[in-house]
Amino acid sequence: MSAAALLRRFGPLLGLLALCAALGTLSDHFLTFDNLINVFRQSAVNALLSLGQLVVIITAGIDLSVGSILGLCCVLVAMLLKAGVPPALAVPAALGIGGALGSINGLLLTKLHLPHPFIPTLGMMNVARGLALVICGGFPISELPSGFRFWGAGSVGWIPAPVIVVVVFCVVFHVFLTRTTVGRDIYAIGGNPQAALLSGVPVDARLILVYALSGVTAAAGAIVLAGRMNSGFPLAGMGGELDSIAAVIIGGASFFGGVGTVGGTLVGALIMGVLRNGLNLMNVSAYWQTVVIGLVIVAAVWVDVVRKRAGEKGERKS
Amino acid sequence: MNQSAHLLELRGISKWFSGVRVLEGVDFEVRAAEVHALVGENGAGKSTLMNIISGIVAADAGQMLWEGQPVRLRGPREAQELGITFVHQELALAPQLSAAENIFLGRHPAESGWVRWREIYDRARELLNGLGHSIDARRLVVDLSLAERQLVEIARALAFRARLIIMDEPTAPLAEQDAAALFRTIGNLRERGVSVIFISHRLKEIFQVADRVTVLRDGQRVLTTEVAGASVDGLVRAMVGTELNEHVAHEAAAGADGEEAIRVEGPVRFAVRRGEVVGLAGLAGAGRTELLEWLFGAGRQDGQVFVNGRPVRVRTPLDAIRHGMALVPDDRKAKGLVLGATLHQNIALASGRGRWFIRAARERQAAGQLLGELRIKAAGLDQRVLYLSGGNQQKAVLAKWLYAGARVFLLDEPTRGIDVRSKAEIYDLVRGLASRGAAVLVASSELEELLRLADRIVVMHRGLIAGELTRAEATEERIMHLATGGVQ
Repeated sequence: MSAAALLRRFGPLLGLLALCAALGTLSDHFLTFDNLINVFRQSAVNALLSLGQLVVIITAGIDLSVGSILGLCCVLVAMLLKAGVPPALAVPAALGIGGALGSINGLLLTKLHLPHPFIPTLGMMNVARGLALVICGGFPISELPSGFRFWGAGSVGWIPAPVIVVVVFCVVFHVFLTRTTVGRDIYAIGGNPQAALLSGVPVDARLILVYALSGVTAAAGAIVLAGRMNSGFPLAGMGGELDSIAAVIIGGASFFGGVGTVGGTLVGALIMGVLRNGLNLMNVSAYWQTVVIGLVIVAAVWVDVVRKRAGEKGERKS
Repeated sequence: MNQSAHLLELRGISKWFSGVRVLEGVDFEVRAAEVHALVGENGAGKSTLMNIISGIVAADAGQMLWEGQPVRLRGPREAQELGITFVHQELALAPQLSAAENIFLGRHPAESGWVRWREIYDRARELLNGLGHSIDARRLVVDLSLAERQLVEIARALAFRARLIIMDEPTAPLAEQDAAALFRTIGNLRERGVSVIFISHRLKEIFQVADRVTVLRDGQRVLTTEVAGASVDGLVRAMVGTELNEHVAHEAAAGADGEEAIRVEGPVRFAVRRGEVVGLAGLAGAGRTELLEWLFGAGRQDGQVFVNGRPVRVRTPLDAIRHGMALVPDDRKAKGLVLGATLHQNIALASGRGRWFIRAARERQAAGQLLGELRIKAAGLDQRVLYLSGGNQQKAVLAKWLYAGARVFLLDEPTRGIDVRSKAEIYDLVRGLASRGAAVLVASSELEELLRLADRIVVMHRGLIAGELTRAEATEERIMHLATGGVQ
């Protein structure tokens, strides 16, 4: 692999390491074991949302509803648990509901021929958030059973349970995208939907699946978040759609579709988590943190554009 | 000839594109108030000549005179100011604006910044009525028929005070009665003293509408004559050039006698046998691409498809692939390839859909072998197809279908925009497919290509089959005769 290709592949990772090194010198506390575990734990929800968002963005789509689906699933799973449903049933039920909501996005896109995924997912974003508020009357549902809280607050040995969830999801999504024929279809749809269709790819079915998967990861995020907060609250995941889009794009995926990896996305989510954590440690106000995150998103994509342009020059020569 | 009677005169126009001569010393004159038809095969140089006249392209040599005065156009705007307007094949209208707004687009009559809407609508109505049609000037262009949109374009040209209107295949998308109406409009323009250059592949139309006709062949003018003294056959002969038929090599097999691989019944009916290459000829807009895409499950038409003698329903490309079909589309970049993906990914894209997991090692081995067999020049299987040459890209599309095990090949303009060497290689490949028992249906605008490749040629005209010629019967003249609406 050429130097340019290596840089393209590991660019986001290098960025993350550089960021960690910088924060390590600025704050004594940053590079401690406890703090890093904490960063992982805090990044888990965004990482889960970002995995679903990644699959959508690979098809040149966008899912604005993931934050709201997270909120609705958060409330629904809490209600199920309060009604006495055991966690072993409530958790798969929540995942199923998330998948169903996501597949509605996909159906709206492919069957109603809405012009862009922006539209159905924008609709779902409002509907799901509204329903979350309606069904709980706007009040959080607290005091969840401890068997359920494990997914957000528990740990195996020193590894937090949310981190395990993220790792499992990452492995499954990585294998799905790189080793299965359906995964290859998804990249092809993002690269050229017309050519994919004329090569026998069932484009509509794949798109419905893609949005369903995004709903599933949003529900997984809801389970982790509800477990950690010990409550199902209707405003959970506010802004999650934009954080997940940012993580995916920082991780090297392209809005034009056909490009993106699980590894990159995970790094993207960690960059955002590390940045927030580091700024907290340095007592930077939350207001300024938002400013910094915004600048990082633009800078990361700009670096990617420059990198790609250099890479293409090299490829054209060969 | 009286010099002052010429509105436009071109002398010795030549043009090269990246070393290829597309026009060589072309003389061309248009009289005032004349309808002048321009014909020639695809690639004869018609479009380039019109682009030079309308200022879109600059000539490399030669002179242009407007009303006897030499002019040098530095852009389409200057041509427009002289009074030359090009009505393009793809109409250049803003669909969400009204007919009237489109007519005055960019030149709204205004008073100190305020648009005078009443005047726009009044004048638009006047222009449209003057053309002998009643289109409501307030209707949005998106709601107008193609024929009505052409009218808006012509009215727009008149609003520019055009004195020469170039129409590039205006009748290609029109139904018969709309074409007749357009001819009346063109006659109307002539009466007002406007000249028209009329490009068409349908030779019969020329006798209905034009005063004179010029034939281009291989970038040269071969003929200009009064229409009254011309004949369809004479024009076809001038377009094709008699010497062409001689150097067409008879490479094709004597004809196949395999079983029927695919058959179509309905408004369009024909069959292709195993081991046979059937050519699909027809002018632009005759419906070749639509027919192939419908066969492949990517379009709608009436008819029943039979594969290996059994009736099948092909609703999606996936169905077609399951029946062993393959489509090499007319536009490989838009429809044939995922440009940003690697050769490996593209070649494997149509295969293995019944399986969960990708068999990467097996795929790479087979794809690597195809790279060698098809002589695809690439850095390796992991090179992205974006930067491959046109010929290698087209071979990659073929490799995809060879890997998928297709047995019925639908090829749409398989050598469009491909260099000569790759072209020859693709011809060999197509013949090789047939000799190994595949059925091949190849649509092409290049008659020479069809004569070289096909055992039989089916000629289309306006979505239907105008006739069928065996290899022995087929000549460029006969094909053109059928394709332009002649009777077999």
